[in-house]
Amino acid sequence: MKRVSVDIGGTFTDCFVAWNEQYAEGKALTTHQNLALGFNEALADACGQLQLEIPLLLSQADSVRYATTLGTNALIERKGPRIGALVTAGFKSTIPISRARGYGEGLPEIEQMDIPNARRPDPLVPIPMIREVRERVDYLGNVLLKLDEEDFRIRLRELVDRGAEALVVVFTNSVVNPLHELRAREIFLQECPGHLLGAVPMLLSHQVAGRKGEYARSTSVIIDAFLHQTMYYGLGTLELNLRSQGYTKPMLVSHNSGGMAQLNSTDALQTLHSGPVSGIAASEQLARQSELGNVVATDMGGTSFDIGLVVEGGVKFYDFNPVIDRWLVCVPMVHLVTLGAGGGSIARFERMFGTLEIGPQSAGSDPGPACYDRGGLEPTVTDADLVLGYLDPENYANGRIPLNPRRSKRAIAERLGPHLNMDAIEIAKLIRRTVDSNMANGISTELRTRGYDPKNFTILAYGGNGPLHACGIANALGVQAVLAPPFSSTFSACGAGNVNQMHIHELSTWTTLFHAGTRSFLSDYQGFNAAVEELERRGRDDLMRQGVAAKEVRYRLELDMRYGNQRVETAVVTDISRLGSQADVLRLIQQFHRRYGQRFGEGSQSPEAGIRINTIRVCSFVEQPTVQFTRLVPSKCKEVKPKPRLYRECHFVGEDGPEWTGVFDHEALEDGVVIAGPAMVTTRATTYLVEPGWSLRGAPQGAAWFTRERM
Amino acid sequence: MNQETLPDEQALLDRFLADNRLFLGPDPEIMRDHRVGPRSDLEQTILEKGLSPHEVHHVRGLLNAALSEAFTMCNQMGAAPGAKWGDLVSGIYTARGDLAMIAPHGIIAFAACCFYPIKFIIKNWISDPTVGVRDGDGFIHNDARYGGIHNTDQSMMMPLFYHGELVCWLSTTIHEGENGACEPGGMPAAAESKYDEGIKMSPFRIVENFQLRRDLVTFLQNSVRDPKLQLEDMKVKLHAVLRLRERVISILDRFGRDVLVGTLRTHLEDVEAEVRRRIRELPDGTTRVIQFMDSSLRENVMQKISLAITVVGDRMIMDFRGSAPQFTNRAVNTNIASFKAALCTGLLQNIWPDLPHTMAVLSPIEIVTDRNSVIDAEGEMPQAMSLMPLFKACVVWTIPMNKLNFSLPQRYSATIASQYDQAATFIYGGLTQHGDVTGNFCGDINGNGQGARSNADGEHSVSPVFGFMCDTGEHEINEEDTPIIRLGAQRLARDRIGWGKYRGGLGYEQIATVRGSAMWGFMTGCEGSKFPSAQGLFAGYSCPSYQLCKIKGVNIFDVLRDTPQAIQEFDIVRLMNERPVSGARYSSVDMGMTFEICNEGELYMICQGSGGGYGDVLERDPALVMKDLAEDLMSHEIARNIYKVVYDEETLIVDEEATRKCREDYRRERTRRGRPFNEFCQDWVRTEPPAGLPYIGSWSDPAIIYAMSGGQRVTMKADQLHGVFMPNPKDVRIAELELQLAQLQRSTGGGE
Repeated sequence: MKRVSVDIGGTFTDCFVAWNEQYAEGKALTTHQNLALGFNEALADACGQLQLEIPLLLSQADSVRYATTLGTNALIERKGPRIGALVTAGFKSTIPISRARGYGEGLPEIEQMDIPNARRPDPLVPIPMIREVRERVDYLGNVLLKLDEEDFRIRLRELVDRGAEALVVVFTNSVVNPLHELRAREIFLQECPGHLLGAVPMLLSHQVAGRKGEYARSTSVIIDAFLHQTMYYGLGTLELNLRSQGYTKPMLVSHNSGGMAQLNSTDALQTLHSGPVSGIAASEQLARQSELGNVVATDMGGTSFDIGLVVEGGVKFYDFNPVIDRWLVCVPMVHLVTLGAGGGSIARFERMFGTLEIGPQSAGSDPGPACYDRGGLEPTVTDADLVLGYLDPENYANGRIPLNPRRSKRAIAERLGPHLNMDAIEIAKLIRRTVDSNMANGISTELRTRGYDPKNFTILAYGGNGPLHACGIANALGVQAVLAPPFSSTFSACGAGNVNQMHIHELSTWTTLFHAGTRSFLSDYQGFNAAVEELERRGRDDLMRQGVAAKEVRYRLELDMRYGNQRVETAVVTDISRLGSQADVLRLIQQFHRRYGQRFGEGSQSPEAGIRINTIRVCSFVEQPTVQFTRLVPSKCKEVKPKPRLYRECHFVGEDGPEWTGVFDHEALEDGVVIAGPAMVTTRATTYLVEPGWSLRGAPQGAAWFTRERM
Repeated sequence: MNQETLPDEQALLDRFLADNRLFLGPDPEIMRDHRVGPRSDLEQTILEKGLSPHEVHHVRGLLNAALSEAFTMCNQMGAAPGAKWGDLVSGIYTARGDLAMIAPHGIIAFAACCFYPIKFIIKNWISDPTVGVRDGDGFIHNDARYGGIHNTDQSMMMPLFYHGELVCWLSTTIHEGENGACEPGGMPAAAESKYDEGIKMSPFRIVENFQLRRDLVTFLQNSVRDPKLQLEDMKVKLHAVLRLRERVISILDRFGRDVLVGTLRTHLEDVEAEVRRRIRELPDGTTRVIQFMDSSLRENVMQKISLAITVVGDRMIMDFRGSAPQFTNRAVNTNIASFKAALCTGLLQNIWPDLPHTMAVLSPIEIVTDRNSVIDAEGEMPQAMSLMPLFKACVVWTIPMNKLNFSLPQRYSATIASQYDQAATFIYGGLTQHGDVTGNFCGDINGNGQGARSNADGEHSVSPVFGFMCDTGEHEINEEDTPIIRLGAQRLARDRIGWGKYRGGLGYEQIATVRGSAMWGFMTGCEGSKFPSAQGLFAGYSCPSYQLCKIKGVNIFDVLRDTPQAIQEFDIVRLMNERPVSGARYSSVDMGMTFEICNEGELYMICQGSGGGYGDVLERDPALVMKDLAEDLMSHEIARNIYKVVYDEETLIVDEEATRKCREDYRRERTRRGRPFNEFCQDWVRTEPPAGLPYIGSWSDPAIIYAMSGGQRVTMKADQLHGVFMPNPKDVRIAELELQLAQLQRSTGGGE
């Protein structure tokens, strides 16, 4: 396997190269003006380790895969075309009203609560660019009002005349009956033929999102249209860069569904958040190959703390209506929760409770924490880490960012000292304890909400600040071990290299498995089977378009099911891909019963209220070779206890005085090495902090286990 | 004989009276006290020993996460539309029943009155040998007279025992909708007594050994129209409470009883201290506001709600005396406990949104009312549509508090005019297209237009007045469950705006019909069709009044199929003005409609309203006026006549100089029309309400209350109020028609 995978983040571009049995990591600052430059630098970094020239590597690589925040950044910066929306008559305000709650999507809770200051985000489709078209289809797909084609032509022309650079069509219930949306595109192509200069793209909602919900589907197709050009040119530039350096195969792009596809089979919307999702994909791979069981993937960076879940047995966690930036959308995205807890999170005194609050405000990277010396005055988590002695002021971020400890101490003492009546060291400990507790709380909530106990999970800590806070989070969570995974500083890039080519297709349905009123079971097997077959066909076509043979395609069927009229749709992964008998129906019901009980508590099920399938989802994928993780059991036979490079005075939560703490280089992370806390290991990208009562054990492939030695 | 009773005899008498109570009805001692109670002995001991504020905060975070988890479970599992769109809450209470914390996203008011039934259970059931309170018990309740917003909300309350000791209470509440009332959907405006309100659960045990009792579940299912919903959501609330219990027990295991008990108490006291601190920051003085409810939902009648807020040091007194008396046979009453819960909500939603959601927010505030008023109703009165005064309570803060707040160096949120405060949604009932009986309400209740701010226009349909991050839902999904078809789904209501320097956020039109049901009907429980609901601030306009419009005697689906060009736009104003379907009956009535049958294809049309405006319209930036025109939010007529902007209607380019002159001219015109205040009062002020106006409440003297009896105006003393009995509107109408008939017969010379 010769593979290059890249995660282009907001600050760093990470590169992971799998070259037969060799693996190399590269890192560079992201070059927003031209992403190819940062990519080339990161690739050069990795190539240097492999002693290969870039053109040689690219000409021999079997694939190059990207996970990128390009779309996310474009969305935040509102860089996109002027979009016009054509919607069903009577629905013209659905988009601006945004289910009322649109003002608060994507905001921290404290801002959501502040209704008097509520502001909806600047719209991607301003009200004057929305037009109603006379048509209506009902929930079963029956046409209530036939598409008024003349009306459509007039509205289309109005939007084009108003300068629409892209068009979206969102007709109600088009996911059940797309007749009107499809006809709309035919008319559009008559009116605005694609070969003419000034032709604009038109996207149909049912082709972007397959589930019901006119608002969430609208935002999905709008964001897709908004990012289309930017992504097309951005990724196109990257592909040209590859071509110019000898790469000849199709470039692959990671999706937020946990899969990937060629550029020609990728929607812009599918690329959003694909970087963090790739980290979860890597966690899944690691958990399986290294036999870790259940895993919580945590990524602590400069501004946020991402949490993802990987559970044994193939249970998948998706957000079916994730929030992208400030908008609720309708695509199945691997579940990822982001907390406002990173190195830049600001600590402030909370008058009401006489204690500290951390975040959600962040100093970000500009001005950044006070110790960055860039004008930041507020004390942050990184300032606390520095004051406590954990960070090397000269070698932070591989020496890229010099730190000023005096600034940190001053910010903490001046901003917080007078309120708390504590010295800077004690306050720094409190900051650390608070932020670690917040993160532990986030993990705990994520797991428990889904019916799991944190004690049955292995925590993976990666990202720039992950290993620095691993022990603190574990202490707050009450778990015994944390794993800093192999390639932890480029873990998401590694994950981007591991995902399968995959496409997900969904269909809203009204399939009653058990009718409460008539006490009867589903008997129309053909309808169900035909729907599954159709979704499999679409996935197969997607993959075949990318050169995959039909026989290589695998399918995973997921059903969103519910009792009675619930809102919840619990996704059940089932091996029953075709129904042939009442026994199959019952088995499906039992699978749902188990899954539901596991999540919400045994006895909470209400089958007597009826059981329905609301969405049929088929994941079509082709399995490909992956980076091989070994079992990450530290070698006992060659256990060594190295001597530290130097000692530093550090302060720890729960310890009274300073501790003389050994500092080790990254070589200390070798398999078999055991370091007892308190200690630190500094690498190019991060610091591994081993708190008192903990030890760090080097494991194969550069992984390391934090293990609790005493309570 | 006048013999003094000996202490022993008195004790026996007291014991007899205590043991022989006919009926444990709502207890005024509980229901009238919204304050956090004094520390228990245990709390006193723990807090005297001292707790680290940092540890308390840590535990607070864990409790918040646990509450949030329980909230999410209800939201996800709940079958009621209210649960799906956010009308629910989970809460934790001290062992004495004081509400300490609620889930961050929950509906504050639900929990802010759930401590009343818990205190009822503590007072009456714990020591009652026939009931008792044990580990594994769960209590259900819905009757708002024992605490609650209205009887459509059902709560599950569970005591949490730790090592055999009761350490706290837990609850979940969902707006369930259907409750077997005389109208489907749980909010019967037609209720003439509490016996029309459907099932009325005083707090009773329905869970034993952590399991629902099937006999009682069956009884409740038998009492409502939607037994499926009743069963499903009882399970939901129970299992969410059980999850919460699990979390709290893990906190107890980790930190111990004292830390949990101390945290709950400290939280209450910290918040109360903060509220007192904020009151102290306000200038001393009194500010006032008067609100009017213009309908009993059966007839048009002006009901006054009068408020004076007085601040003296760290005391704040809200004086509602002089408000309208309660109705004996109309559903728009509320009891004082519910009213206070809504006040708590409004304070958090409009003035101090950063405060934690707990009863301690309202605890330091003194509230004065006239008993038996519409906001402090007692006895057998119906209160199924208590939302009417409660929504007023939510927004009543904006005018008086913004006056007090305005010049403060630090404010805790924006200065904002009143939000539109009506439950402008369809309540429905009947047979679904799937053959199920149901009754409930639509998520559109969650989209009230926001009041304008001192620095920005109000947001369109941003939230209900009682919660944040609530959801108006997706119609494609709603149409799967009910036969309601939206032909106009949330269309911003053009020209119906609270104008000002900054305008209120707009509401939206809702055009609904029905298809595929053998029997279906709607009701609407809204006021504000005669008198505007949302008040402007500092010269901003109020919102307009809004009507219910109907097109009956038509099957719109036939029209759309056979003559699709007949209807060009699903717009209420156009449909009503142009009357495009011949033969149909068009009507415009007030939005207080009791349940009526909607035949397939008939149209019912209502409107969510706009928030109030802020500041003088002549100060509105002409660019903002043009933006509203470009967005088709208003007509040129408004731009010219209200905002006095001169511009080109084609290009929307403003003539700045002409606009300045036009506005100056208009200011001079205003000055010319203006009169000295005393002179104005002489002409304007009347000694009593106009004779023809159905009016209840005080006029100039808050001690004298005007009311009606048998159609005649009467007065009563505010401290001796009694209920107003209204005649049946059908009887009134029959009498009118009979009178007309008699006149007609007289004029034509006919006889009886």
